[in-house]
Amino acid sequence: MQYGIEVSQLTKKYGEKTVVSNLSFAVKKGEVFGLLGHNGAGKSTTIDCLLGLKASDKGESKILGLNPKKKRKELFEKVGVQLQASSYQASIRVGELCEEIAALYKQPADYKKLLEQFKLNTFEKQPVDKLSGGERQKLSVLLALLSQPEVVFLDELTTGLDVAARREVWEILRGLKNQGLTIFLTSHYMDEVEALCDYICLIKEGKEVVSGTVQEVVAQSPCEQLEEAYLWYMSEEVTL
Amino acid sequence: MKKYLRLFKIEGKLALRGVDSIFFGVGMPVAIMLLIGIICGQKPAYEGATYSFLEGSFGALTTVGICATAFMGIPLTLADYRDKKILKHFFVTPVSPLMLLLVQVSINALLSVISTLLVAWVSVIGFGYEMQGSLGQFVGAYFLVLFSMYSLGMLIASVCRNIKVANVVCSIVYFPMLFLSGATIPYEIFPKGLQRIADFMPLTQGIKLLKGFSLGLPIDDLITPILVMMITIVIGVVGSITLFKWE
Repeated sequence: MQYGIEVSQLTKKYGEKTVVSNLSFAVKKGEVFGLLGHNGAGKSTTIDCLLGLKASDKGESKILGLNPKKKRKELFEKVGVQLQASSYQASIRVGELCEEIAALYKQPADYKKLLEQFKLNTFEKQPVDKLSGGERQKLSVLLALLSQPEVVFLDELTTGLDVAARREVWEILRGLKNQGLTIFLTSHYMDEVEALCDYICLIKEGKEVVSGTVQEVVAQSPCEQLEEAYLWYMSEEVTL
Repeated sequence: MKKYLRLFKIEGKLALRGVDSIFFGVGMPVAIMLLIGIICGQKPAYEGATYSFLEGSFGALTTVGICATAFMGIPLTLADYRDKKILKHFFVTPVSPLMLLLVQVSINALLSVISTLLVAWVSVIGFGYEMQGSLGQFVGAYFLVLFSMYSLGMLIASVCRNIKVANVVCSIVYFPMLFLSGATIPYEIFPKGLQRIADFMPLTQGIKLLKGFSLGLPIDDLITPILVMMITIVIGVVGSITLFKWE
């Protein structure tokens, strides 16, 4: 099996409004794929549909060749997910949260090692509520890696992190990528996208605007930098 | 099994840190027992009764802890998890709804049993209570009531969107049952019409059993209460698993 994630013609409507429209892409194993777009472009909805959290109106998606709706338990042994804006049980401590989530997997990663890697080990006994925004964000990425996943979904992975912490997270992800991890991410930071992504897809109002490697996407625009190219694509009238 | 024990341990710690579960599940039933004991413990249950008010109420009082945990502990915790997207987190792991429900059920069952033991202790030490009937039958009926109430609690926990909805639903289910079942006001003093309505409630049926067994009175109809509670358990458990909402 060549692909970590396969999506074909995914469409999702909320009432009359089409939030995701005919989206198709495939992510090869070991690749990093970035889904980019403004707030409200349909990125999180796409992830929810991919994971089977929401039912799509049309189209199909498979992760590691499995249908997430039918094989949820089997699939999530091998897939890690970091959701946007996470909240956790009141008064739960960092170590307890890690222990609880790790206990759900047959072969979990050693969470103490991960806490060290993410420089969160000093917070093990602290309530999650008391962490700073950046620390909590790092924790949510860490939790997604607890299953020793083959595929990981990261929704706005470094929002709220300081410059140094972002680079630490990138390093960890690059290391895991080299070991064959497939990564699906969304991000608003173009430097992050350039640093991590092999392949990107820009969406606007749920529709694909352009996709390809970072170089290809920049080359197809009149711009020289990804950030400018991104803005150029987003301001273009899309006729599809 | 390891999965279950870890979850039980951590979720249990969280339940203990939230004081309300202890207050309503353990403190309140004991307080009610104390009040009843002090106010009218030794009086006869009704004029010409062969047993005291306390003896007559003992069975019903043990269900206060069951109901508090069934209709507050289980549904409020899970509805809150749903509202805060904590269940969404669990969805993206290999955990099953049944496991999440069972963990909450076990924690609350433990609280409920502790509360009942305390209620029994207070009534024996404080008011000289002695069970006339069979302890074994009483314990059997107790767990039947516990599971039937918990299955209703699981059902509510599976479908309520947030804590507010769960609160309203639980109040609608809990308070009429609490007042009509004989758990707080003796069933015997109700008018006939009200008794008939109350008979439909599984808790009323359960309390009839508990009362009969604790007093050692002959129970003319054993089948109806057992059947009513069994049906409640099946509906509750099947409903809660099939209707479970992650978001």
